[in-house]
Amino acid sequence: MTSPLRTVPAGPTVAPTRVLSGDRVTRVAWLPGSDRLMGECSCGARAEGGDPIGMWQWLLAHPDHPAQVAEPDAAAAAVHVPPPHRVARPEQAAGPRTPLR
Amino acid sequence: MTSIVRNQWYVAAYGREIGREVFGRTICGESILFWRREDGSVTAMSDRCVHRRFPLSEKPSHLVGDTVVCGYHGFTYDADGKCVAVPGQTRVPRTARLKSYPVVEQDSFVWVFIGDDDRSDTVPIPRAPWLDQEGYTTVSGMEPLAARASLLVDNLMDLSHETYLHGGYIGTPEVANTPITTEVDEDAQVVYVSRHMDDADCPPFYAKSTGIQGRIVRWQDIEFHPPCLYLLHSRVAPVGVLPNEDGTDPNGFHVEVVYAITPETEHSTHDFWAVARDFALDDEGVSDFLRESNRTVVLQDVVALDALERVLAGEPDGYQELSINIDTGGLAARRIIAAQAAAGAEQVPESPAALAR
Repeated sequence: MTSPLRTVPAGPTVAPTRVLSGDRVTRVAWLPGSDRLMGECSCGARAEGGDPIGMWQWLLAHPDHPAQVAEPDAAAAAVHVPPPHRVARPEQAAGPRTPLR
Repeated sequence: MTSIVRNQWYVAAYGREIGREVFGRTICGESILFWRREDGSVTAMSDRCVHRRFPLSEKPSHLVGDTVVCGYHGFTYDADGKCVAVPGQTRVPRTARLKSYPVVEQDSFVWVFIGDDDRSDTVPIPRAPWLDQEGYTTVSGMEPLAARASLLVDNLMDLSHETYLHGGYIGTPEVANTPITTEVDEDAQVVYVSRHMDDADCPPFYAKSTGIQGRIVRWQDIEFHPPCLYLLHSRVAPVGVLPNEDGTDPNGFHVEVVYAITPETEHSTHDFWAVARDFALDDEGVSDFLRESNRTVVLQDVVALDALERVLAGEPDGYQELSINIDTGGLAARRIIAAQAAAGAEQVPESPAALAR
């Protein structure tokens, strides 16, 4: 399955800083301004991804890391219609509540 | 279902808040009474008289030696919560006792264990020794937050919210080029978020208080021990000056920012904050500056989170949130807290009749 073509800003591949020294440490490095995350599992597996939810899912799949980090679904996003944000109680209604004269 | 993680240690108070007077605070939805014995050690027990539930922290309840006397009818309890005298009779009912809580005083905090007492020594208490250590000067306080604790965790794990004096100013050239690494140690249950700048501008405040001239190395590390203790380590030194191989760091300047996130109820939190430094120790101006700046930052967050809690509290469930790269550390913290909540959930207790055999 080919991933959809998408232009992403090219960023340097950053190496994660290593501070913790335990046996089961997972790491995700990110350069602010870049869209890419670099994940590294305690078993040594590494992958790059564009979304922290997909990245943590990939890391937590240890030891059965999938071939790639799941990316947000571009096809679904294209048809996504945002729902209204419902408010039921009067105290949650924003804005002034005085009548306008 | 409660969102509060049970079978954990929480900061209940600063040591300086507890003395030879009755002191009540609600921790994780439980009303707790704190006081010091005559030998100075802190004790904690349920803050409701077994008789008619009067709060023992309310006047005219008071201490007499190592006992607390209820201000309503005079029920008297020892430092373990056992009732030792009741008015008008010599017989004290055998069930007359208050729940007693494990308490540890360390690092300027009074820690209390919320959950099953038998589990208290299987759960370690995370440390912040600089808060009560020679070589550090600390300013500290606590703000009441009318918001659930998870909102404060989200807030503190998001680096882009930081406005501490020495870091977090997104937009300076060094910060834009500095990677942020999130580490999770599954065994130790710690989330670490690091930003290490090898070569950066020295802000005027640091130049003035440390005497450093020229550029600096700036390290900023969040170390979160869910569910309660949050540490922010900030290290500043002239460029190229690193800690020694043996871990000592005599040429670095350190600021330690500490938060203890203690639920009061499902929808309110005690927001303990402290800033410790190992330089300009006797400079009152630096202390005042740090106290005021940190308190200002905390209050800005309190205002924002109070508003967020108001809108969340009555909303129906099921709204989707959207996470982006800045949320990497916050998501890790949420996951560990959810695992702790599952591990700490209480067994369903046997009925009182079944117990009274």
